[in-house]
Amino acid sequence: MHTDARTLESGTILEGDICIVGAGAAGISIALELVDSPLKVLLLEGGGFDFDPRMQALYRGEIIGLPYYPLDAAALHYFGGTTGHWAGFCSTFDAIDFERRAWVPHSGWPIRRQDLDPFYPRAQRVLELGPYKWDAADWKNGDAERTPLALDPHVAWTKMWQFSPTRFGTRYRDAMVNARNVHLYTNANVCEVEANEGLSAVKGVRIRTLEGKEFRARAKSYVLACHTIQNARLLLASNRQARTGLGNANDLVGRYFMEHLEMPGADLVLAKPQTTKTKIYAMDFARRAPRGELALSAAKQREHRILNGTASVEPGNPGDAEFGTFQFFDTTLLAAMRAWSKGGRQGPPPIAVKLGAAGGAPQSTPQFFHLKTRQEQAPNPDSRITLSTEKDALGVPRARLDWRLTELDKRSIRTYYQVLGQEMGRTGTGRIQIRDWLLSDDRTWPSFLSGGWHHMGTTRMHNDPRQGVVDSNCRVHGLVNLYIAGAAVYPTAGAVNPTLTLVALALRLSDHLKKALI
Amino acid sequence: MTLDRRRFLQITAAGVVATLTTSALAGEVGFDASALERPELLTMLGPERVRELGIRYRAAKPSERTASSLRAAISKGEPGTLGLRWSSRGSIEKKIQDDFAAGQTVLVDGWVLSVTEARQCALFSLATA
Repeated sequence: MHTDARTLESGTILEGDICIVGAGAAGISIALELVDSPLKVLLLEGGGFDFDPRMQALYRGEIIGLPYYPLDAAALHYFGGTTGHWAGFCSTFDAIDFERRAWVPHSGWPIRRQDLDPFYPRAQRVLELGPYKWDAADWKNGDAERTPLALDPHVAWTKMWQFSPTRFGTRYRDAMVNARNVHLYTNANVCEVEANEGLSAVKGVRIRTLEGKEFRARAKSYVLACHTIQNARLLLASNRQARTGLGNANDLVGRYFMEHLEMPGADLVLAKPQTTKTKIYAMDFARRAPRGELALSAAKQREHRILNGTASVEPGNPGDAEFGTFQFFDTTLLAAMRAWSKGGRQGPPPIAVKLGAAGGAPQSTPQFFHLKTRQEQAPNPDSRITLSTEKDALGVPRARLDWRLTELDKRSIRTYYQVLGQEMGRTGTGRIQIRDWLLSDDRTWPSFLSGGWHHMGTTRMHNDPRQGVVDSNCRVHGLVNLYIAGAAVYPTAGAVNPTLTLVALALRLSDHLKKALI
Repeated sequence: MTLDRRRFLQITAAGVVATLTTSALAGEVGFDASALERPELLTMLGPERVRELGIRYRAAKPSERTASSLRAAISKGEPGTLGLRWSSRGSIEKKIQDDFAAGQTVLVDGWVLSVTEARQCALFSLATA
């Protein structure tokens, strides 16, 4: 069922068993799992079914600390969420990502990679990926040219990405609208989470429309699935009963905001370009062929006490301009990608056109490659979301982002390339040149500092309420019926794009809710 | 402190600095100079870049500014007459491979190089000066 909340009368009370706030990848994944269950599900989406500048403006925020991409362009505020313009990059976290690493302060999840193993294949189906195969050897596709570089796996290996075609907003709209037990409300912005007097449970959420209507939703359990930054913002702004916000008794909500560093880090020159296979590393936008990136082994990460990261291998030319992801994907390109997707994907994707223009003429047997870093940042309590003094059109304080990095982040990138360079030399594969910006001190960052719009942390998972906002079941400490879905719960960021794992966690949460409520 | 790339040369392993004296080179026998002075890097980076790397290496390592000191440094610990007999390119390539495996690398202008091939670059820069 679907109702445009603008048609409701002010003062209406919506009632259900589960109230999911936010209809992006996490919220829709949970709702899909609950279709045809005995539970009545309220799915509240702040936006409509399409991009609306007025709605998008609610995501505008203040940026202090390190420079960052405009917040209202980094995430989308309508049904389907940010999958409305994402590139579909998917890969699985590594076992080491879940471990407590002595050299990474605040690392360690309360769950292990094995705990997510049953959910990854299910998430794979939601995201319409290919077979659940993640070894590079599985993706040769009968093509001898798709052979990974012959590196010692104890040092470096080829980690695979698959590419999801799924725009949740279009792919799952009918499933949500037609579901008997799921009631989708669009244009229903939750402005406040309201707790009982003892602050031990949520008793409802307050909803507003841009037209000035206000009403409430009540349920047995609530799931905040409205994006990493917005989840924290909503909890912090729910401060009428608890001065510092709900779930924030230990001043943790909003802290540990994390990104993936996506920046040019080095160049690679092959020793034998005529015989070295690199096709498996190539980006194929048209066919969405799985692609490899180069990763260091867990043993090498331990030995050098560095973070987890990978590098893409992109043919280029010496002297090409340096772009981080933020600089390459300016807001104009993002708008073009949305239009291209909405228009039925006719013609070459704008991203491919821009890449072609930036990279010059393609080489038949490339010898020179740019290596682009994709690395987790270390969890940092000072990297955080707080509330701005400015309010949005609904009267909710805007988010203020103070993005901060540490010396470990930069040292890890440089060390990664040193280790990879040694292995490239040892195997006679080629030589690596580390970029200038990595050879300076570890505290300064270049003008092309960039993340990947991968917003993580802010309501991190830890079984100790003094160290995390949610427990291992994603339930907010101290509130018996409030859960968080999405990358907001990540204690560490892993090396790879967050969506596959956040969908897997959402499915795990939906199983937990079914057990608890049915 | 910010280090300029031109000045940035990091020795990443200890014990790689040559100690042979010039007098020791008097016993040089059967030395294949062309193999030493023609690093494999030439096929990857070209002569101009290799020459530049060699110049930078010599500037950063005052004790290895001369051809004799560079040859001595490369040959240190190798079998053969006074450790200086290099009969084939293959033996140099093996030494470079061993350098990488042992972490005997240097950063020159950001390039992760085997210390042997960095010295080869230096020799090349002298030979083509």
